[in-house]
Amino acid sequence: MSHDDHQTHHVNYLAVFFVLCGCTGLSVLFDVLSMPKGVTIVLVLAVACAKAMSVMMYFMHLKFEGNWKYVLLAPTTILAVGLPIALFPDIGRSYYINAAPQVTAWADEVAEYEREHAAADGGAH
Amino acid sequence: MGIPIPNSKLGMWLFLGTEIMFFTAFIGSYIVLRLGSNGWPTRYEDTHINVLLGGINTFVLIVSSYCVVVAHEAMAQKNFARARGYLWVTTILAFVFLGIKGVEYKGKIDHDILPGRIPETSSQAMVKVADQLEELVRERFHAYTHAGVITAERPADVVTIAPLLQALSTAERPSALTDSEFKRYQEASVADYELFQKWMNLKQHIVADVSLYEVESALPADYLAKRDALPEGARLPALKLEEVRRYLNDLKTRDWPLAGLINSRVFDPHPMVYGNIFASCYFIMTGFHAIHVIVGMILFGMVLKQGSSLNERWTDWVENSGLYWHFVDLVWIFLFPLLYII
Repeated sequence: MSHDDHQTHHVNYLAVFFVLCGCTGLSVLFDVLSMPKGVTIVLVLAVACAKAMSVMMYFMHLKFEGNWKYVLLAPTTILAVGLPIALFPDIGRSYYINAAPQVTAWADEVAEYEREHAAADGGAH
Repeated sequence: MGIPIPNSKLGMWLFLGTEIMFFTAFIGSYIVLRLGSNGWPTRYEDTHINVLLGGINTFVLIVSSYCVVVAHEAMAQKNFARARGYLWVTTILAFVFLGIKGVEYKGKIDHDILPGRIPETSSQAMVKVADQLEELVRERFHAYTHAGVITAERPADVVTIAPLLQALSTAERPSALTDSEFKRYQEASVADYELFQKWMNLKQHIVADVSLYEVESALPADYLAKRDALPEGARLPALKLEEVRRYLNDLKTRDWPLAGLINSRVFDPHPMVYGNIFASCYFIMTGFHAIHVIVGMILFGMVLKQGSSLNERWTDWVENSGLYWHFVDLVWIFLFPLLYII
């Protein structure tokens, strides 16, 4: 259960911790500020990626590991990214709202719902 | 020429590789589904997603991740008491995380935001109100048949029991009941019969799709007679969601014995397009994440079980459990913005 190769890397874990806390606050701030939806999504996901990189690099010590990390993680990353890309043409572009048969029967009700929500959203801003 | 890390660490990283694919399957599918679903529910009134609770949980996991990494450092420095202390904090924070998640889940359950339970259109919302009223009627009627107040060949058939309930005030007391007990049932039967009538009236209007307030009775014979009297091409006014809201609100606010029960058991009609797929995505992602938190707690629990006899033999264990815990944190780092903010 043990080995002798526990190198101590001089990482200021507390600084990483504060960076992560700051990033979380930033995510909430982006949500509170009224910005265009697309901008909020990009900013919030960028912050999430920065947080993930901090955790992987410093808490999981990937910054100090050898090249084996690429060999191990590249295939899983390729497959992980590949799945949404593979699904996108079928589901992402036309889920049941546009083409499926039940939409014909629902069209009025869905339109009514979206009108109500558009009015409510408009009122909120 | 092998990979220059211990076998246990290699095993953990290979396992984490499979975990990355496991979670990205969910997260990737969720992103794609959302992109393809114009009108995905995002308002708090629809989803009951609480950003503050999600934010607190994010903070809790970040603190716990910090504690794990410090615990591992302490193990490497052979400061086992310090390592144990930080692992205790991590485990307690994991409990806090699950507690907050439990509060969030309860909020969803209380509002019936569950996969397969959310009406996506006005007509589904109206049917749901009728279904929930029917559940109440069945429950109330069951009390009479179960206690022997009413004897029926088919106790589950509420339509045949209703006339017996209506006649209960003039019925003879069954020998198994005392006078006071029977009187209590007789008094309650007035409201219960009215509840049956209200439910039946709503159901008939839904089936006939005619206005609750403009077409007084939707009993098949009445409805058909009215329809026949219409000029050719004309139709009776259709049932609207707003009418069902008003009808239910009247049942909830009027002064009668069943108002409280209806208030707590029948939800206001609230159609939510893509509500079910939203609920499925939310529960599957946060649910599997919570399972991973529990597994992490077990891993740390095994270290803490060693108590003061914790020694350097457990250093790899703490490191590998730490890697696992950071991964759990990593998943939440993406779930938080995707589910709570965007």
